[in-house]
Amino acid sequence: MSRWKRLVIFLSILGPGIITANVDNDAGGIATYSIAGAHFGYSMLWSLVPITIALIVVQEMSARMGAVTGKGLAELIRENYGVKITFWLMLFLFLTDLGNTAAEFAGWAASNELFGINKYISVPIGALVVWLLVVKGSYRVVEKIFLVICLVYLVYIPAAFMAKPDWGQVARETLVPSFHFNSVYIVTLIGVVGTTIAPWMQFYLQSAVVEKGIGKEDYWASRLDVIFGCFMTDIIALFIIVACGATLYKAGIRIESAKDAAISLAPIAGKYASVLFAVGLANASLFSASILPLATAYYICEGMGWESGVNKTFKDAPQFMWLYTFLIAVGALIVLFPNAPLIPIMWISQVINGVMLPFVLIFMLFLIKREDLMGEYTNSKTFNRIAWTTTAIMIVLTGMFVVTMFV
Amino acid sequence: MPFFGEVFSSEIIKKPVLDPKGEDLGRVKDMVIIKGDPLPMVSALIIERKKKLFWLAWTDLNIFNKKIISSRVYKDGLKPYELDENDLLILRDILDKQIVDANGAKVVRVNDVKLEGFNGEAILIAVDVGMRGILRRLGIERGSEEFLSFIKASLPFNLISWNYIQPLRPKLSAITLTVPRQMLSELHPADIADIISQVSREEGAHLFKNLDIETAAETLPELKTEMQADIINAMDTAKAADIIEEMSPDEAADILSDLPTEKAKELLENIEKEDAEDIQELLGHEEDTAGGLMTNEYIACPPEMTVPDALERFRAEAKEVETVYYIYVLDKDEKLIGVISLRDILLAEQTSLLADIMETNLKTVSPGEDEMVVAEIISKYNLLALPVVDENGYMHGIISVDDIIDVLLPTAGKRTRRKG
Repeated sequence: MSRWKRLVIFLSILGPGIITANVDNDAGGIATYSIAGAHFGYSMLWSLVPITIALIVVQEMSARMGAVTGKGLAELIRENYGVKITFWLMLFLFLTDLGNTAAEFAGWAASNELFGINKYISVPIGALVVWLLVVKGSYRVVEKIFLVICLVYLVYIPAAFMAKPDWGQVARETLVPSFHFNSVYIVTLIGVVGTTIAPWMQFYLQSAVVEKGIGKEDYWASRLDVIFGCFMTDIIALFIIVACGATLYKAGIRIESAKDAAISLAPIAGKYASVLFAVGLANASLFSASILPLATAYYICEGMGWESGVNKTFKDAPQFMWLYTFLIAVGALIVLFPNAPLIPIMWISQVINGVMLPFVLIFMLFLIKREDLMGEYTNSKTFNRIAWTTTAIMIVLTGMFVVTMFV
Repeated sequence: MPFFGEVFSSEIIKKPVLDPKGEDLGRVKDMVIIKGDPLPMVSALIIERKKKLFWLAWTDLNIFNKKIISSRVYKDGLKPYELDENDLLILRDILDKQIVDANGAKVVRVNDVKLEGFNGEAILIAVDVGMRGILRRLGIERGSEEFLSFIKASLPFNLISWNYIQPLRPKLSAITLTVPRQMLSELHPADIADIISQVSREEGAHLFKNLDIETAAETLPELKTEMQADIINAMDTAKAADIIEEMSPDEAADILSDLPTEKAKELLENIEKEDAEDIQELLGHEEDTAGGLMTNEYIACPPEMTVPDALERFRAEAKEVETVYYIYVLDKDEKLIGVISLRDILLAEQTSLLADIMETNLKTVSPGEDEMVVAEIISKYNLLALPVVDENGYMHGIISVDDIIDVLLPTAGKRTRRKG
């Protein structure tokens, strides 16, 4: 294949991986990375290296399964493990994603509060806008706008530089693992893994690959797309942690509200730090709030065998429309609770992601080793090892967290 | 192997199988299906005992229902089996599969498969694509039903008749419908009747209850007589009366004549007077005679009417009348003196009177004439409708060609199911 032709194919296939990467840096992600940097300085940076490797491995598996089988993950689970297992898995994922949706609205509420807009005004409007976006079918256009505004996050890179961190220490902490055996550290670590390798994203990515009609032949391009996206996610994560570590951690400020988190951007934006932070957070929140409930409704319907589609009405696809509406409405209502703690909602939902992750990974690993489904595209030994290790680590971490809670 | 009634595949899977001595042969792992006429049927059970698979042919079964499965074969006589890709298995190949409609769009999933006993075979009659199927597989169908009835809601059946599924091949990855999904919900009344007559009576009655009055009125005449009576009896009188009122008088009379006299009377009292009189008149005739077949809805005009006036009347009346292809010319005493086909009147001069263009060489039958004679006349003269006239020349009604075709060739829903 000529270099040109390869480039054209690559560009046409580009998308699912990069969109997934950007949705990954959602409200929950920003909050969790900021907290990791503000509360633990650079000491959690090392985890980003194994997380990136695991993220690439896991997302590559999702994309490969999508390209080879032409089926979504929920579909494969239902067809191979039956309705009972699917039902319970979907129920737990539904609750997890309800938490994630609430986190997105919490992010939206928090960013609006930075502009002085009350959450009782911003959240209902945000929820309605998101709901209408899909129901009125203009989602595809808006997706591109969201993607562009996502570039705001790149500001964390100069922000980190201008905060003048001790780069020697940053490098050391990134490459030399350290571990603290206390529940706050462990739960934050679970959150960091959970927000980076979120369970629902595997469903979303695989379906996006299927929907794009990427087959075995073009799969190499999809793999590049995924790897590129994974690096993007984690490089931004790294700079958020560094920026927060160099400012908040040093000053001993704990993140209690979005205002605190915005201080990390002060070195670059000065008094406009909170505006910049608010714009980025608002965009990320609304972007993910429109993708997440939709993706969840899609994969649950796919698994349960209910009709789905954004062009359907409540009468044609009742379960789909109600799931979608319920997620948005209840997700927003959770945030509207008087005195709902916005920042904790954002990061605790990511911890739940981390706890749910191994279950999804186990299904993926059992499915991908099946030759009748994957043919010659089953996992290599290295892939299997990395993915199983990730699964084991997450189970151990969850176990350790439970233990440290009571010790 | 006798098997009566109906059962869902999920009620069979994992059930223990006993041999004639009452010893445990293992549990049902799967069911092998083969092509049957007209629908696929179960040819064997795959039994699992201590991780080993065995083949138990359908003919070797002694009892097969959702409570007990027993075989004629003893424990040692069981044939070992190895999974074969070319066999078609209900659990492995059909359950949980995506159903795509005729144009490839994903619609629903197979939640369960319904089997029905027919001539001793277990026929795959329908796939369950609804909530009931999911709940049944989760083991909470009954519980959910009770809970829902407690809050006055019901759990609808959502079955797709196997007739609408393309033939299955081994190693399939999705199951394809023969009709687009939308059509399934907007089925022709004759097709709905087809489905109703294939599912169980209880479910059929339930399906029927959910139809709107208009669709119900078109569907009911397509059903078997016993089924019609069942459905009407199960319904409250007011609704049944509404449905019957919506039908053409001959169809209504057909249905009423098969009901117990008491019930028919009760229904007639609830129907608008004018309609009731029409029906009553038809009820006086024997079912298999011209009088029993005819309807008294037709378009009639006096001979001195002009063509434009007649067309005007046609437009006004055609909406309410089923058979409009002939205009009957009656004199003052309601005696039939001529007939004009729709084509002739459309092509006629605007100034002509009906008396000028009408056909006076009339083909008619008397009310007592046998239905086969009616069929012969319609066939011989290629008519779309035949007037029923008594010995004094009075017009009683007409028999349309589709009424006579129903006699000669009953629709599938009406037919007693043929042997497979």
